[in-house]
Amino acid sequence: MSLAETRHDGPRQEAERTAGAFIESGRSYGFFTDTTLCIGCKACEVACKEWNQLPSEAGGLSGMSYDNTGELSATTWRHVAFIEQVGRDGVRPEAMPDFQSRWLMMSDVCKHCDPAPCLEACPTGAIFRTEFDSVVVQQDICNGCGYCVPACPFGVVQLDELDGKAHKCTLCYDRMKGGLEPACAKACPTDSIQFGAVEDLHARARRRVEELHERGVADAYLYGVPDATGATGGLKRLNAFFLLLDRPEVYNLPTAPTRPADRIAPALGAGLAAIAGLAMAAAALLGAGGRR
Amino acid sequence: MNLQVPSRTQPPAHGDGPTRRPYAGESYYGRPPLKPSPWDWTVSGYIYLAGLAGAAQGIAAIAQRIDRRAYAGAVRSARFLGTLGSAVGSILLIVDLRTPQRWYNMLRILRPTSPMSFGTYVLGAFGIFSSVTALAELTRGRGRMGRAAEAAADAAQVGAAVTGAGAATYTASLLASTSTPYWAAAPRHLGVLFAASSVATAAAALSLGERLGGRHATARRLDGLAALASAALVATSLAADRRRRAKGIPADLDASNPGRIKQAGLALAGAVPLGAYALSRMNGGRSPGLSVLGSLSLLAGGYLLRHATLKLGMESAERPEAWFRFAQPENLPGRGQQAIEGWRQERLP
Repeated sequence: MSLAETRHDGPRQEAERTAGAFIESGRSYGFFTDTTLCIGCKACEVACKEWNQLPSEAGGLSGMSYDNTGELSATTWRHVAFIEQVGRDGVRPEAMPDFQSRWLMMSDVCKHCDPAPCLEACPTGAIFRTEFDSVVVQQDICNGCGYCVPACPFGVVQLDELDGKAHKCTLCYDRMKGGLEPACAKACPTDSIQFGAVEDLHARARRRVEELHERGVADAYLYGVPDATGATGGLKRLNAFFLLLDRPEVYNLPTAPTRPADRIAPALGAGLAAIAGLAMAAAALLGAGGRR
Repeated sequence: MNLQVPSRTQPPAHGDGPTRRPYAGESYYGRPPLKPSPWDWTVSGYIYLAGLAGAAQGIAAIAQRIDRRAYAGAVRSARFLGTLGSAVGSILLIVDLRTPQRWYNMLRILRPTSPMSFGTYVLGAFGIFSSVTALAELTRGRGRMGRAAEAAADAAQVGAAVTGAGAATYTASLLASTSTPYWAAAPRHLGVLFAASSVATAAAALSLGERLGGRHATARRLDGLAALASAALVATSLAADRRRRAKGIPADLDASNPGRIKQAGLALAGAVPLGAYALSRMNGGRSPGLSVLGSLSLLAGGYLLRHATLKLGMESAERPEAWFRFAQPENLPGRGQQAIEGWRQERLP
């Protein structure tokens, strides 16, 4: 009996119970991070560090609202951003307005892009696309060339100077192999981070945006779904996508990122054409004045 | 760090997606949105050496065809430069790896979307061709073996010239095909810049060799080529700056430390050699010292420009305004201004 046949006889995987998603190879999985539901508890950051055995980066208080993590790094694969929009144009109000401040919180993560610029840049094949359509760095292959670091349009992947390898979110590849949903999504108490098959998540996210628009949250929009902001310039989609309430830059995301590999042909073509031109000039200049 | 209270630039209106507003400089506490490449002088040193060595072998192939006897010394220099450049360049690349004992993993795959991947093979082929040409120089005059090596070298010279052209320019595509704003904003300019820089430094190095060997006639012609490439280098650098500004890269980047290195590089690789070569020529070749000065200055300035390009890119990656102004719909490839308005109105929520 195959897995598919027994699928509806009751949950066979924990992910079916916790995320309502059956994990099988050959399908695309990802995260839908709905920032309207985030309460900034950082359970995702902690769950990620615990499961992946990542060291803390104790840096003290940053002064940036409740964000003392700062950024995604080689040892931080979930990062909760806090944006307190009290007042307007940088002026604090005299009294707290209705509904207090607009306090935006967003749990950032590797986007598992399709196509993935880090993977396309990797010269060793250490970065590969898994059977779950996630993008993972194989630690036993990476030689620390660092080319994936500037390739990433989102500043996600980074070299660890201690072990000399590139690191980033693996979409909990090891957990998914065992039928478990990724640690951050499982730990999220408000379902701001939702794990599942990307097509299912797209449908769910579109319904959520419509619902929010009906309830008067006119600024809600999706970042990273096909043909939308975030999925531009040759990036077809981000398997980890977001529902946002303000410009992408407010969350430290680019509005219209581009696929870096599309710039190889113009740069190389122009370079070789210039070499050809200079070679012709050289033929003329070096022959000038005839034989010595 | 910007600790100003972040605030919405406009109140929400029903149906008005936040991204429809033009970008007005928002960022997340001014924090870097990108990670800069983790490279230092070993990478700029490699880019410089690969360019110099590659272009030198190209010039040698042309010179050999024009006048084999007159340029014998220059060809000999180029063959050793090619071999040495590819060898030292490879070592620099391996030293730059954070896990250098795994350097051979570069040979596991060939990936056309990664200039670092296909560049490894271009460099490898260039090194092999160059070694064959250098072998002929070492075995010259040793009877049959020398003649066989000479024949092999003549064939390998063509290969060295072609792969040398690749080694001199693929590094431009390596930098351009990243998300680093300073490199990504002007891919074509970067290609022409690297080509001109490679030919200029190679001609200067070969001229220097000819002057030291007392072969002033060929040195004078190489000076002419170096001057032409140097002028092209300066012109392309200025055009690239204009292009970057049009794409949203802030002009005050040039006020940073790497920006000052770039100014020094432009003076040493442009103004000084152009003046020195011109004076040397006006003097009717009676002052080879001026030509030597010009070549040395061009060689130094060429490296400074490579290093400045690397460091300016790393600096731009840490500036939110550079990346966010570049990553706007109007800079997406293959779109006119009208299409942008359509993109804003229809495809954004």
